[in-house]
This record gives sequence, C-alpha cells and structure tokens, in this order.
Amino acid sequence: MQGPIMQEEDFVTIRLSVNGEIHRLVVEPRRLLADVLRDDLGYTGTNLGCEHGACGSCTVLVDGQSVRSCLMFAVQANGHEVMTVEGLAQSGEMHPLQQAFWEKQGLQCGFCTPGFLMTAYELLQHNPNPGEEEIREALSGNICRCTGYQHIIEAVQSAAQSMAESARVPSGTGV
Amino acid sequence: MKPPKFRYFAPKSVGEALALLAEYAGEARILAGGQSLVPLMNMRLVHPDVLIDINGISELSFIEAVNGGIAIGALTRDAILAGDTTLSEGWSVLREAAHFVGHPAIRNRSTVGGSIAHADPAAELPAVMVALNAEFVARSRSDSRTIAAQDFFKGYLTTDLNDGEMLTEVRIPGLPPRSGSAFVEFARREGDYALAGVAAVMTLGEDGTIADARLGLCSVGPAPVRPLNAEALLRGQRPGNEAWDAAATAVVSILNEPLSDIHGSAGYRRHLAGVLTKQALAVATERAERGQ
Amino acid sequence: MTTTTKGYTWIGKDIKRREDPDLLTGRVEYTNDVKLPGMLHAAVLRSPYAHARVVSIDTSAAQKLPGVHAVLTGSEATEVIDPVPAFCAEPVVERAIAVDKVRYAGEAVVAVAAESRYIAEDALELVQIEWEPLPPLIDVLEAMKPDAPKVHENLPSNVVYEHVFPFGDVDGDFAKADHIIKRRLRWPRATAAPMEPAGAVCKYDPASGRMDVWSNTNMLNFVGWLIASTLKLPPHMVNFYPMYTGGSFGSKHVASKVVAIAGALSKVTGRPVKFMEDRIDNLVANDAQAADRIYDAELAVTKEGKFLSLRLHAIDDYGAYFVFAITGNTNMMSQISGPYTINSLETGIKAVLTNKNQQGVFRGAGSDVGNWVLERLVDATSEELGIDGIELRRRNFIQPNQFPYKMPTGNVYDSGNYPAVLDLALQHADLAHWREEQARARQQGRYIGIGLATCQQRSTYSATEFWFHNPGPSTGLTTTAESVRIGIGPTGGITVTMFSPFWGNSPETVVTQVVGEEFGVDPSTVSVAYDSTDHGLPGAGPGGSRMTVMLSGAVRGAAMKVKEKMSKIAAHLLEASVEDMEVREGRVWVKGTDRSLGIADIGFKAYWFKFDLPAGMESGLEGSFTYDHPFTTAPSEDRKDLGVFYPIMGHAAHIPIVEVDINTGQVTFLKYLAVHDVGTVVNPRSLQGQIRGGIAQGIGVALYEEVRYSPDGQNLTATMNDYLVPTIAEVPNIEIYHHETPSPYTAYGVKGGGEGGRMVAPPSVTSAVEDALKPFGIKIDEMPITPEKIVKWVSQAQTQST
Repeated sequence: MQGPIMQEEDFVTIRLSVNGEIHRLVVEPRRLLADVLRDDLGYTGTNLGCEHGACGSCTVLVDGQSVRSCLMFAVQANGHEVMTVEGLAQSGEMHPLQQAFWEKQGLQCGFCTPGFLMTAYELLQHNPNPGEEEIREALSGNICRCTGYQHIIEAVQSAAQSMAESARVPSGTGV
Repeated sequence: MKPPKFRYFAPKSVGEALALLAEYAGEARILAGGQSLVPLMNMRLVHPDVLIDINGISELSFIEAVNGGIAIGALTRDAILAGDTTLSEGWSVLREAAHFVGHPAIRNRSTVGGSIAHADPAAELPAVMVALNAEFVARSRSDSRTIAAQDFFKGYLTTDLNDGEMLTEVRIPGLPPRSGSAFVEFARREGDYALAGVAAVMTLGEDGTIADARLGLCSVGPAPVRPLNAEALLRGQRPGNEAWDAAATAVVSILNEPLSDIHGSAGYRRHLAGVLTKQALAVATERAERGQ
Repeated sequence: MTTTTKGYTWIGKDIKRREDPDLLTGRVEYTNDVKLPGMLHAAVLRSPYAHARVVSIDTSAAQKLPGVHAVLTGSEATEVIDPVPAFCAEPVVERAIAVDKVRYAGEAVVAVAAESRYIAEDALELVQIEWEPLPPLIDVLEAMKPDAPKVHENLPSNVVYEHVFPFGDVDGDFAKADHIIKRRLRWPRATAAPMEPAGAVCKYDPASGRMDVWSNTNMLNFVGWLIASTLKLPPHMVNFYPMYTGGSFGSKHVASKVVAIAGALSKVTGRPVKFMEDRIDNLVANDAQAADRIYDAELAVTKEGKFLSLRLHAIDDYGAYFVFAITGNTNMMSQISGPYTINSLETGIKAVLTNKNQQGVFRGAGSDVGNWVLERLVDATSEELGIDGIELRRRNFIQPNQFPYKMPTGNVYDSGNYPAVLDLALQHADLAHWREEQARARQQGRYIGIGLATCQQRSTYSATEFWFHNPGPSTGLTTTAESVRIGIGPTGGITVTMFSPFWGNSPETVVTQVVGEEFGVDPSTVSVAYDSTDHGLPGAGPGGSRMTVMLSGAVRGAAMKVKEKMSKIAAHLLEASVEDMEVREGRVWVKGTDRSLGIADIGFKAYWFKFDLPAGMESGLEGSFTYDHPFTTAPSEDRKDLGVFYPIMGHAAHIPIVEVDINTGQVTFLKYLAVHDVGTVVNPRSLQGQIRGGIAQGIGVALYEEVRYSPDGQNLTATMNDYLVPTIAEVPNIEIYHHETPSPYTAYGVKGGGEGGRMVAPPSVTSAVEDALKPFGIKIDEMPITPEKIVKWVSQAQTQST
C-alpha cells in the first residue's frame, strides 16, 4: 500500500502569493495548502478542525473565493493568490469585520474564528448588505461550538453597516 | 489525517489530460473539485498513485445554450451553476440542485463533472441529469462517446466510465414550452447529504393537463432512481394533490434498495421520497403554470 | 436585557474582551501552532476491533521508513510511561497505548514519531498486527449480566460500581403519596467535539531529566502532577504551559493520553514531539463522551401536585475505562431535586463497563441529565394530574426566604428567587398569543409546541465530589483552589498572572474587570499573563462553571494584599495612619481629604526608593492569593449527608417555541426565550455568549447529537459529517433576560454561568416538541429527537387511534 518512491522530480516548485507576499517553495504534491500555510510559511492563524471539509475552520480565500484549505493541495494554489486571516488587518488596524467581531463578542475560544472571518469577508464582497437569512446561509458551512452563532450574525451585520458607511464617506476631499 | 503520496500532473489541455490518463490508466484519478476525493485521501480510504489535476483546463468550464438546450463543461463549478442568472427559470432544477451541494466554500470548488463522475448516491446532480435526459460526453485519448444519463450510473460510486476516459461535457436537451422544474431535498442539517432528494420536470399541455412529467431521485438507492411508473401515471392527469399522491405512492413502491444508515433508515427515506415527490411536483407545476 | 450594576464601576459592564484582538488576528498560539527546533510529529495506530487480544505486532517495516525516528508498541512504551491517572478507587487500569488487549474500537496500539505527520501516517500503514478478536460488549444490558465476557479480566464483572444512595425517608414519603409518576428515560451518549482536538508537545531533556509540556490539558496545578507520574517523572521536573485552548467543554480536563504519547516518544527520541489528535482521533478516543444512561424514575406526589420524594435508578454505560469514576453521577447529586422542595430522594447508580470509548465529563457533567430527568417527571405529573405546568412548578418552588437551602443530599443552594425568574420569563413569552397560534395551527394541520423548563445550574465544584461515592471513612482531595498573582511595577503598571488555561471563557477579561474594580483603574490598562507550573500556584482551572467565581475571589484576595502594602507606603509617605487610607480611582487617598498618591508614585517608591519605605518593609509591590473554595464541607461517614460541594447555585427558565412538520419530522424554532440567574454578572455580553453557546449544545443533544456504535462496536460517528453538531442554520436567536440573586459566599456575589445553557435547553426543547405532538398523545422519553423518530411516533399514534 505504500505509494510510489519519491524522486527528486516528484517535488514541485510553486509560487504562492499569500496576503500579497510572494513565496517560492518546493513541496511534495500531497502537502495540503493548510499545512504549507501553517508550517512552511508560518501563517498559523488558519486552524485545522477536521481535515475533511466539514467544519470550515481552515477556510481561506483563493483568488477571492472561500475554499477549504484542508481539501486543496498547495501545488494547486501555484500561481494563485491566497488570503488568510493574517491578511485582513492593514497596517496594524483590524479590518471592520474583526472590529465588529470584537464589539459584538462573535467569538469565545477563537479556533473557528479565522474561518468565519474569511467566509464573511467573501460574503460582504458579493453582498454588501446581507439580510439575516443570507448571513446564516453563507455561514452554514462554518461550525462554531462555543458561541451559538448569534453574536457572529450580529457582528457580520455590524461590519456590513460600518463598511457601507466608510464607503459612503469619500476618502480624501479632492477637488 | 494526511493523504498518502502520489505523482502529480497539471495538464493545460484536454489532450494532455487524456494522454496522461491513457499512460497511467488504472493508477490515476482525476482531481477536479477535490471536495469528495481529498477527504477520502486524507482518511486514507483511497491511495491513488497518480493525480491528474484538470483545474487548469479552462476550456472545460462553460455553460452555453445549444439547440434550445444547454451544454455544461465538466469543470464548471457548482457555485457558478447555482448562481447562473442567464439560465431561464425552466432550468430551476439545475440551479437549486447545485445550490444544495454542501456549503459555499465547497461549491466554489466542486464541479458538475466531478459530482457526476463520482456518483455518490446522495449527490443531487446525478438525479437531476437522469430526470433531464442528459447525455455525457466521455473522451479518451483515442475515442469520444456520448452516454445517456440513465445508462451512466451503475451503482454505488460506479459509473460507465472506463479507465482512461474522462467526462468533458454534459448536454441537456431543451425543455418544451410550458415547462417548469424544481429540486427539493431533506437533510438533517443545512448542507448535509440529502436523506432523500427529488428533481421534478413538469411540462403542461395547452389544456392544463400534464403533458410530460419526469422525476429523478437521489439518496434512495445506490444510483439515482428514475420512476417511470410514476411518470406514466402522471401523463394526461390534472395537476393537483390527487395526482401527486398517486405519483408519490408509485415512487415509493419501486424503492426496494434504499440506503440505510444512522441518519436515515430505508423506511424513513422511502417515506421522505413520497413526501418530497409531492412537493417537487407541486413546485415544478406552479412554475410551469407561471410560464417563462 | 438589563442587569443592575449595584454601584460598581467595572463589574457588570459590557467591556470588549481582552482575549479577542489576538484571537481575531490569528496571533494566538494554540497547541498545534507550537513549533520547536527538531520537533517530530506523532501519529497513532488505532484498533479496528472493539475487543481483541493483540497477538503480535511487527513494526520493522515502519521503523525502516525514511523519516521515522521511533515506533512504540504498548509494551515497548511501558519502559517510559506508566498507566494514565485515574480518579477511581477501582483497579481499572488504562494505558495511553494499549498493552496486550484493546477494549474499544479506536484504542491506540502503536505510536510513531517522524519528521512529519505525513510520514508518521505512512509508517502506520506499514505496521502489521495479528489480532485475536473477542466478543464485543456493546449492549449495556448484556454487558451487565454476571456471565458476560469481561472488559477487564481483573474485575469480578463489568458492573464496576453499584450503589444506592438514600437521603431521608424515601419509603415513608412514597407511602404517603397519592400518585407515583413513573418514567423510563434514556439520555444519549454525546461528545464534546470542541473545534480544537486535544494535543501536546513534549520536550524531554535527558541531560536534566526535565520535561516541558505545551498541551491544551487542564488542571495543571491541581492534578497535573498525576500526569507527571504517568510520564515516570517527578512532578516538579515537569513544566506545563497553560495553552490557549480551542474549546473543551470538559473534554480536556486531564488529557493524559496525548501528553503520555508525546512524552513517551520524546523520551525515546530525545527530541521534542508533537502529538495532535486529528478529528477522528478526537471523536473515537478522546475522553469527551459523556453520560449514556437508562433511568427508571419515580416521583411521589400528592393529588395537589406537591412533590414528596424522588427515586432515580440509573444504568450508566461508562465504556471501557473509568478514569473519572462516577463524577458524572455524583455531580448530579448537587441539584438532583431541582428548584423544588422535595423532602427525600434515593439515587441508584450502576456503572457498567463496555467496549466503547470511556466517559469523560461534558458541560453539565451529569447535572444536565438530572435536570432533564426531573423535568420529564414534572411534565408527566402535570399531564397525569391535569395541573398546568407553570402552576405545578410554582407550588413546589423553594421560596426566596428559604435560602441558604439544604437539599436532601446535603448540598446547599446559596441563594435564589425561582418565582421571580419564572415571572420574568412569562412576562416576555407572550404565551397567550402563542397558545392562540398553536390552536389556529392545529386547525390547519400544523403543530406548534410551547416548552418550559425551570432548572438549577450549579457552579464551582468541590473536589469532594470525586470521592464521596466511596464508602466512609475513606477520603480524597479536599482542595479546590484558584490562584492569581498581581504585580505592580515601578511605573504603576498592573500585571495579573494566571496559572490555568483559557478555554474560550473570558478569564483575562474577568480578571481585568475585577482588578479595575478593586483599584479603580481602566481594565484595558491592566496587563495579563499566564505562567507555567514551574511557577505555579494551586488552581484547578476552568470547569464546573467555576472560573468567574474563583478568579474574582483570587483577584480580590491578591488585590487586598497589594492594596494593604500600597496603603502602608502611602500612609508613611503622607504621614497619615494606615486605617485612614482608601484605594479608589487608581490612587491611595487619605479618607475625607484631597491628599493622595497615584499607583505609579507608589510603585516608583516601592522599587527604587527603599529609604522612603516604612522601616522593615521589603521592596517591590506584588501579592499572590490562593482562593480556596468559598463554602464546602466534608461528607458524613455514612454518606447520608454528602456535605456541601456545589453551593453556588444558579437557576434558569427556558421557554422555546417550536413547529414540528409531521411529514418530515423537522423541528423548527419559532422563538427561544431564556432567563438566567447567575448572581452578579461581571460581563453581560460574555455571559450571554456562554448561554447561547450552551443552548446550542443543548439543542444539539435534544435534536441532533449522539455517538453511535454498531453492534460489533465500530464508532459510526467518527467524522463531523456523522456526529451532528448544530450549525448556524439549526440554532435560533435566543432572547435572554437576566435576573440577579447574588451569592452570599463569593466575591461580588458572582455565580458561574458557563454550563447553564446546555443544562436547561434539553428539557425545555423536549417539553416543546412533546407539547407540539400532544394531539397524538406522544410521550417523549429519549433523545435525540430525530425527524425519523417523530415520523415513526406519529405514524404509530395514528395507527393506534384507527
């Protein structure tokens, strides 16, 4: 049952852009994207809750789309853009989603939280003003064992509102 | 739960993929969405020696109107199909079924072709394809053939595809005017595998009676079930509860091999099949009556 | 929702959590994030059989695989590790890696350390094992039989513990009753399934004989030393770091197996070794599974519905090992008579070993079961006697003037106001409207149900509950403490150090709020740290809803010491007398004047200006305090009085409203209202989060969750697709109202509220579904209440009535 013996040429060189930074890596094809992010690149914010795609803790964005990083091989992300929770905050300032989760206590142990943040981020990109049912549906693939979800819904609603408000206020007052 | 070793190829064209499939026939699996395959690998339930990653073959991703019907590339993501607003309302069954696949992150990767080729008995799209009289294009390095959906699904995770063959396209014939369709399912939780699912395609005659009704069921057998007996019963009838009840009874009567597991016994799935058949027919009819 | 702040500045405020920014930005180091130079990764091969002898194990091929550093069978591991610690008095021995015999499907038989988890799992596939399968004991009633094959050969039978505890004149009270309400009830085996599995990184230093452990296990300064003895190391040579833990709900109290496996491999390889459970490991082998009980339950009542006495006899399927003894049954005895004045009671426990994973404790720790059993009896009484359920409860509530209330087992309820909690619930429930809706729906062939449960939610356990089920005069642990250290630096910066791990509760927030209150400073200016057991002070850690109570008490105690020293310094410097000093608003004041010194001023002096300090005073400014359980007493020798072991008693009333679709069996929530009384509330939002999360888990066991084994003992719920925890779609929004009856025994009158949601939701949801199905005369005596069961029961009822 042992797989084929690995040859040098069976390792693959990949270029992975993570949170805007390009990384060049040599990896075994079987290494999961989650493990390469966490162990090779140090982005430990993404967590492993089940390794079979059911819990959503490992969710990251690839080319702006939410994916289970435990179900993707790192080699598949070659040449693509990955965004993890570490990419949300900009210049030390938390993203409005993170701020909202903080305000509304949308987390307790925090283990599932990065997955929720990335999924909510994707939702708000496509649907800046989601209703409660839409939020529930978008987040139905992320399991939380701590919060009972209600504060998470409130956090997403609050983030949507604050993001809409800052979009309305023009940045800079150029003439 | 880490996967076992494999050799990895990422072909850029269908031709390249088929050449690889021919070379590694028997040892290779196609990696499309990976949402079914990779969990099996992480659990070490399968050990493919070779993975052929077709995600880079963009020519396999399309939804096109063709001769009144639709052609869908095998690599088309379920999320794309679920959200496609260009498809007319008559094709609701396709959108709705794709929407039931797992969760958003799953649908971003899972593919129409993958769902069909994997042939999980609980998968929604196979049941829909059977109801729509779809045809699948299977290509190998040396050959190409079309397989009717009702001949394609052989049993539990088993299809008519041979080693060396890859699904490239799904072709769905057009729907007559005054048609409506629906997909309904029941699962324990949002996004779980269906305990039973029903695709219904309804075509009404000018007098409002049922000109044609087609049904496809998932999760009630090792392969999708097309209850021809129920369809025959429905033809010529007036739409309404009496017709739906009769159809449901007919459907349930032929389900002699339903799945049974901790989430739903065979008896319960049969019961659900009846309940959902009525629901699906009612919704499909209402849409047919509304007209597109 | 409202709480009264009672003149506190910070206690009772909804401040944002201290823990959150690091959690939100992915900065926190969970156990799986620990990376040490040279670290190896472990994986474990698990038994495919529920019961089998290990005839032979050939690890030669595994050992030769490049990248593999060590392969250990159970026998080989005995050189470096001993059996895991157990709280039980019975000689039930468990090893982290099985030796000779496996007793549940999923028990570890071989452990491997390799360069990566990938290679470790490759190695496991090369191990060859010859098995001699034995008959699996999966049905608890079969396993109970005297001639059943034995799970442990050294025990006389699989009934590892059996006792009936009488409290008061049960026979006499039953004789007086007008009616005996009887039910046979079945509580399903559930599992905690936190999002983060258990794990450990162990780094053994052969040169010094010390081991460092980074693990999400708990009780580090309580029984952590027991894990050291499993590691065959002196406890003071093992240093545990309290880790950020991704949820536990009781499953990580003593995660000895993961530590033992990582520790054994570290000793053998001389390298740090990480062993993280994956999800399958966690669902099949973690000590997270809990109460698996059949109850024969009887409530003796008068014709007016007064509850006189209670008889509860349980058969509890404990699985293959017994490390927590019957904690899940003794816990229940703290509140087994509920909020009611029941005069006497008898509780019988038969703990049976079977070939399943063993029980640990899961949020509620058995008191969740007790609540459900009692409320089922109350609902049954209401139905059989034709007395409205609300009225029935009012007739039996302990009244506000009866506290502290000693209930039949000997435990005390410190304070409460059950009628007021119920009134508050009813005030917001709009039952008249819902009864109308229910009637209207029935006409349309739709089924709406209104549920009610009024239950206790104890907090702050005493260690006596681990052993008082053993006959006197035997005793056991009597310390259940928690400690903090408060240090103030030369510029007045306040640091609080804790010694127990974060579980997803809010210990950092709680301690900063209490420090803020004690010193009159903004909590956000207070720094929080954790320290390892090398520097540890006594503490049992989270669990039993104790941390808010214990940390408040510990912080208050430490604050008092520090404030005393600050006052002495300030008095000396301001030439006032110590008795005239008071600390408020971040300064020390001479009472009644405007003369004061700031904390920074005092810190400055304390560290650098010895000449300015009172004669004989040590430099520096810090205080540690070990807060012991505020109120616990010993059990009597005859065990007819178990003493006080869980007196900090909260209470809640839940009113869920559901609609049941009898065609599919689906249950949907239309409304869910909860009123919780957990004394003085420190952080309302944080408490609400705990309540909502607990309710989600309670809905889980009521409708979705069950660990299932096949007849031959295979775990059928070994993935998150099969063990069904509620997603966002299954959990309704919960309306929460607070009532505060402070505790007379704790700092600020706080009580713990972390478990309450899960302890009250199951009976309230069961009650709601039963109410919905009332037209069919269906009585619900089991959970989870699945759609399939509902369809079956309705069908049976319809058949019977035709």
